[in-house]
Amino acid sequence: MSAPLLAACELEHRYPGGVVALRDLSLNIERGRKLAILGANGSGKTTLLLHLNGTLRPTRGEIRLENHPARYDRRALNDWRRRVGLVLQEPDDQLFAATVGQDVSFGPLNLGLSKTDAEARVREALEALRIVPLAERPTHTLSFGQKKRAAIAGVLAMRPEILVLDEPTAGLDPHGVTHLLGALQQLHEAGTTLVFSTHDVELAYAWADEVAVFHDGAVLRQGEAVAVLADREVLRRARLRPPLLLELAQALDAGQGGFGESPPRSREALLALLRERLQG
Amino acid sequence: MRAIDHYAWTNRWRDRHPAEKLLPALALLLLTLILPPLTTGPLVLAGTTLTVVYGAGIPWKTLLSVLAAPAAFLLAGAPFLAISLDFSQGFSLHISSEGMWLALATTIRALAAISCLAFLTLTTPLADWIPLLRRVGVPAGLIELILLIYRLIFVFAERALTGRRAQTARLGYSRFDRGVRSVGLLAGNLFQRALEQARRLEIGLAARGYTGELRVLTPERPLSWPRLTVALAGVMLIGLAGGLLARGSP
Repeated sequence: MSAPLLAACELEHRYPGGVVALRDLSLNIERGRKLAILGANGSGKTTLLLHLNGTLRPTRGEIRLENHPARYDRRALNDWRRRVGLVLQEPDDQLFAATVGQDVSFGPLNLGLSKTDAEARVREALEALRIVPLAERPTHTLSFGQKKRAAIAGVLAMRPEILVLDEPTAGLDPHGVTHLLGALQQLHEAGTTLVFSTHDVELAYAWADEVAVFHDGAVLRQGEAVAVLADREVLRRARLRPPLLLELAQALDAGQGGFGESPPRSREALLALLRERLQG
Repeated sequence: MRAIDHYAWTNRWRDRHPAEKLLPALALLLLTLILPPLTTGPLVLAGTTLTVVYGAGIPWKTLLSVLAAPAAFLLAGAPFLAISLDFSQGFSLHISSEGMWLALATTIRALAAISCLAFLTLTTPLADWIPLLRRVGVPAGLIELILLIYRLIFVFAERALTGRRAQTARLGYSRFDRGVRSVGLLAGNLFQRALEQARRLEIGLAARGYTGELRVLTPERPLSWPRLTVALAGVMLIGLAGGLLARGSP
């Protein structure tokens, strides 16, 4: 197997004052996958994400980019952040320009692109998030969901290989979530590797290829989403509950092992299964 | 402030090149300052009001509310210009006709000048000022500061409002002394949050390759020479009329 695109190896992070946020944490991010970092509030997810683009430096251990230990000089960091795009949870922490279009152009211009190229990137990113009509809107008049999409577009315009999102669905209404996941799915199909943190097991179950369960600054288990989320012991230790969809499917199946490795992962699939069982 | 910002972004002249608004406004300001105020002032005031209301399509109530605050200051100050102190024979206070004229002229001139600036702020959003400021050589650091302050004003205004609502909900303003205490707590909290916000914004910007320069693409609006010419001609007309009328009257 080829080396992971990005990896955290035995990371430890101690904040000034002695609080240990990460301890002996290892995580692999494989190219082209959707990885959910699943954990309760305060489990260290955000701290980890801030290591993934070099914002924080580990007090022990290292981050590896395609198997090369990450370096923290200015040039290396610039290159690193071009490849790994980080979207913060709170869009107001990221949007600074007067209009959406201007804000999105910030990253491309920092890459040293010409005006024409930067404009094309802005357009492309706004289209990907389906917010072209917002280009001229002043940032402070947007709704929370719109701000969130604008913040993601700003990172996307740099065409990162890996898009890291901190709690991308937090605070969004169901329509906003669907809209956002649709856009992210398209990016994923176009080849972007996605990493996102969440405490929503249902989201991780429905949407991720892979899940890393996080507790108290360490990864308890990383693996295929279905296998990890069926591991009650791990979820219990992480103070999480198994996804309802999976539990229902398992109850329906009642040990027959009818769906084996691929239980229903959407509401529709579960309903279909339910109808089938009721008729059968 | 919200209203000014709203109309700056949505008025009919929003998409015009900022120079088309800046140059006539500055020319008008200059006329207001050098020509006799009693005739020029009202003409300027009428000119800006008509352009703001009928040109840019901004409700006159909004314009009025923008002018109201500085006008209140002017009216409060004017009486003191009219009154003169006389120490030649002991001490006496009297109102001279000279003083009256001075007070009237100053008030009208100031109000007219303010209306020129109100025209600018109501029709031109901040995003359009940035390229212009850059063109005339304002230092990049200062422009970035303007940009960030503009953005964060809204973030903090929002927080202050929510904070105040939350305090009110817990009876933080139910008595004068409690109100004072609540305002103090809120201010302290906002200050702390401002520092945190700055730190997080830095992380967010660094993630997008920030290396000490906030560069963004600014829209290019075509400058319409005909429109600019017409506007400047209008300004000249106001100036001429103001000057001639002043000469005709004593």
